[in-house]
Order: sequence, then C-alpha cells, then structure tokens
Amino acid sequence: MALCYAYDSEMLLVPSCLPGSFAAYAIGSGGGHSPTKRMTDFTPSEEPGDRSRIDADLLQRVARGDRTAFTALYDRFSRPLYATALRILHDAREAEDIIQEVFLAMWEKAAVFEPGRGSAFSWAVTLTRNRAIDRIRMRKRRAELLTASSPEELGYASAGDEGDSADALSLKEKAVTVRAAVAALPADQQRALQLAFFSGLTQQEIADKLREPLGTIKARIRRGLLRLRDSLPQPS
Amino acid sequence: MIDERTEELASLHALDLLEGAELAAFETQLASDPQLQALVRELREAAAMLALTAPAAVPDAALKARVLQQIGQAQPRETGRNTILPFRLPTLIPWAAAAGFALVAAWLGQDLLATREEAANQRTEARLAQLVLRDTANRLEAERIVLNQQMDNSGRQLADTQRQLATTASEAAAANQRVAALNQQLKAEGDLAQFNISTLSSMLGNSPQAVAVAVWNPSRQEGLLAVEKLPALAQNQDYQLWVVDPKYQNPVNGGVFTVDANGVARVQFKADQPISAINAFAVTLERKGGVPKAEGPFVLLSH
Repeated sequence: MALCYAYDSEMLLVPSCLPGSFAAYAIGSGGGHSPTKRMTDFTPSEEPGDRSRIDADLLQRVARGDRTAFTALYDRFSRPLYATALRILHDAREAEDIIQEVFLAMWEKAAVFEPGRGSAFSWAVTLTRNRAIDRIRMRKRRAELLTASSPEELGYASAGDEGDSADALSLKEKAVTVRAAVAALPADQQRALQLAFFSGLTQQEIADKLREPLGTIKARIRRGLLRLRDSLPQPS
Repeated sequence: MIDERTEELASLHALDLLEGAELAAFETQLASDPQLQALVRELREAAAMLALTAPAAVPDAALKARVLQQIGQAQPRETGRNTILPFRLPTLIPWAAAAGFALVAAWLGQDLLATREEAANQRTEARLAQLVLRDTANRLEAERIVLNQQMDNSGRQLADTQRQLATTASEAAAANQRVAALNQQLKAEGDLAQFNISTLSSMLGNSPQAVAVAVWNPSRQEGLLAVEKLPALAQNQDYQLWVVDPKYQNPVNGGVFTVDANGVARVQFKADQPISAINAFAVTLERKGGVPKAEGPFVLLSH
C-alpha cells in the first residue's frame, strides 16, 4: 500500500503520498468533514488486541528466561524503539546504546511488568523515551538538538528500507494508522504533542518554544492526547 | 466523571511532564481513583503510539547480535511466577531452613511494615502540622495586613482631623480679625460721635451764598473742609483756615487753600497746635502762602 507520511518544515506529520480516498480520510476532520471511516477499518495482519496479547505473552516468556521469546520481542520492538530514540537523540550511535540498554532492562526486569497497567509496547516505549531524554539532559545539548534540521538531513532511513517480515508489516500498518490519526489532529495539537513526547522539554519550555501561554499548551496536549486515544484502537 | 483539569493532569502525567508537588499531588489522587487510573493507562497507551510517528529507522543488524550476546551473559533478575521446580527429599532440610528464615523474614517484614506505617503516620502528622502552621502563618499575615490597613485609615483620619483643626483655627483667626474690624468700626462709630461738625456761613457781602462744612476728628487731630461758591482768588491770595480753641489766645492755623473756577474746594487739614476743644472754624482771605496770625478779612465763620 502506497501510504506514507513525512515531516514538513515545522516537524508536523503530513501525508506525502496518499491516494485520494486516504488523503481525505487522513486529514478529513481538519477541514470540517468528519471522516466516516474509522481508523480501525484498516486490516493489519494482527489486530491491535492480538498484537498486545502477543507482546505480553512474549514478555512473560522472557521473564522465565526464554531467549527465543526475547529474540521475537526484539524483532517486534527494535525498529520503533530505535526510531524513537533516534528521533529524540538525533544520533545513531547513542540511539543504539539506548536500545541495547532498554533490551537488557527488559530481559532483566520482564518479571516486574504488569499487563494490567498497560501494554508491553507502552512499557518498552517508556523505558526507551526516559533513557533517551535522560541522556539528552545529561549531555546538555538540548538547545542544539532542538534547532536540528529535518529528519532527512539527519540521515533517517526511508520506510522502504525496512524488512518485510510479518512483524515488520504489522508494525508498518500500525504506524500508518497512528500517523494518520496524528496527522488528523489540528497542527497546534500536533506540535505540542510532538514536543512533549520527543523533545524532553518541560511544560514551560514547550510553552516558551511555541510562544504560547502555559495554559494553552496544557489544553492542547490534553485535547490532542484524548483525541488520539479516541482515534486509536485500545489494546486489550 | 473526570473534570477537564484532572484530564489535563492525566495527559501531562502520561507524557511524564508533571514534576515536583504537582506530580506528588496527582499521584496521590491517582492511587485512590480507579477511574483515573484507567484514564491514565489509556492516555499512556495513546502517548506510546506517538513513538510510531518517528521517521522509520532500522538499527544496525550488529546491534541485535550485541544485545543477544549481552543477555546470554545475564539472567532475568526475577524468574517467572509459573516456574515449577521438582520436589526432592534431599532438599527438604534446606527448604525447612529457608522456611524458617522466611518466617523470621515475615516477622521482621511485618515489623518493618508496622514501622513504615508508623513513619507514614508521623509524616502525615508532620504534613498536617505544616499545613496548620502554614494556615496560621497565612491567618497572621492576613491580620497583619488588616491591622496595617486600619492603621493607615487611622493615620488618614488623624491627618484629616488635623487639617480640619487647621481650617478651624484659620477660620477663628479670620473671625477674630472680623471682630477686631467690627470693634474698630464700633470704635470709629463711637469716635464719630466725638466728631466736631460745623457749618460755616459767608461773611462776604458780595458772596452771601458761599458756604462750608468743617468736620474735625479729635482722636486723629485732623479734619475735612468742604467749601462751595467762594469767590475766585487773585493769584497773590489764599484762603486760610483757622481753628478757634479756647486753650489758645489766638486761633490756630489750619492751612491755606484755593478754590476752583466754581468756587469749590475739598481740603483735608491739620492744625498747627494740638486741639482739645473747638469753639469755631473760620476762613480768612490772606496773602499767598498764609500768615501765622489772621490778618485779612473773615470770609467764612462757623456758628
């Protein structure tokens, strides 16, 4: 499926090669036309609930020392986690260091994971994001990073470079869904969420960077995240 | 029902953006609210999905090898709950010992929990004490502000009163001045009763209509003479006024004057000698500049 997204000059997700029908769907709500098609109408190779259950099952097996399950989990999580770390750190070597730390932590602490408190993927993302943000705060290069240029200039691989395993395909479809949901948000909510998630900035720093009152930023984050939650299927 | 403010805090918490007291307060609320816990869980899931919006990137294949090699040297820190170990008799004694240790540990743990609970209670009490202290401080500060305002008001009232007193004093001074002026006026009116007012009649056969009035103020020793219809004078002549005081042998000089073309003159005059009583006023016709003792004919004479 030729469905892809790119970051524009303001680091907003915009559909870059959508077919006509999907373009209308992805940005429909922004133009006052409510999408009649739900995000869950996509038919990924794994349903969201299935994917979450599989992840949780793999993690429980990892907790028992199952290296095969760990390898499977690595194959499922390594790309999005690496992409996240790279997006935050803008440094491939440091992103790989983070991924190595995260998977070692998952291996050692899998038993403390409680499926009732969230999905395995969410847990892994939190581990990755916290470590990446800690690292940029430690090296005190936030100011440089925030002015860094576009993703292409930072050497990101294109989506076409990904492998075509079943896990990768499922992940790609999931990513398409999420990106469509994010792209459907108003631009100001997108900006606030992207900075909140990837920049490591505090609330006040986000407000300063966007030159908006703090209350406005908080409201945008609230509205954006609630809308994103409503747009995406919840893991079981 | 979760209000917008709580939704906002939940969203910020899901993105790890809460800090300090705000974070502590929210987590306290979160701990006792299952509905809020569910919301935070959902928002965390949604936030985690933002990871998928990062530009696609593939880690180096060597990374996987490194990670797998690393976990090959490490074991999961906590084994799974479902692990079943075979029971063997030789292991009974160590297990019994372990059970004993476990009991001791449980007892110690209970004791520790009790201690922790007590510590938690003390922390709560300390927190309450801090709140009470803060409340008291706030109340005292409020009272201080109110007292300051009252003192400011009293100061303003005092200043107003002082201004009113000053105004009253100046009004009193003005009133005193008016009273003094009235007294002077009364005195003057009293003096007026002492004035000597005399009418002078013509003594000239050619000007029988000539007339004059002389007013004498004994306290100020000065007088006013008004004449009408006196004949005009030659250039070498003056009219001269005389005040007849019985104390003096001769009339006292009151000064010279002339009249205009209509025979009119208004003359303020003083006598050469102190006057104590007046018998009469007289006007004589004298040579220019006057004379010390009347020489010329009488022109006017009071009755």
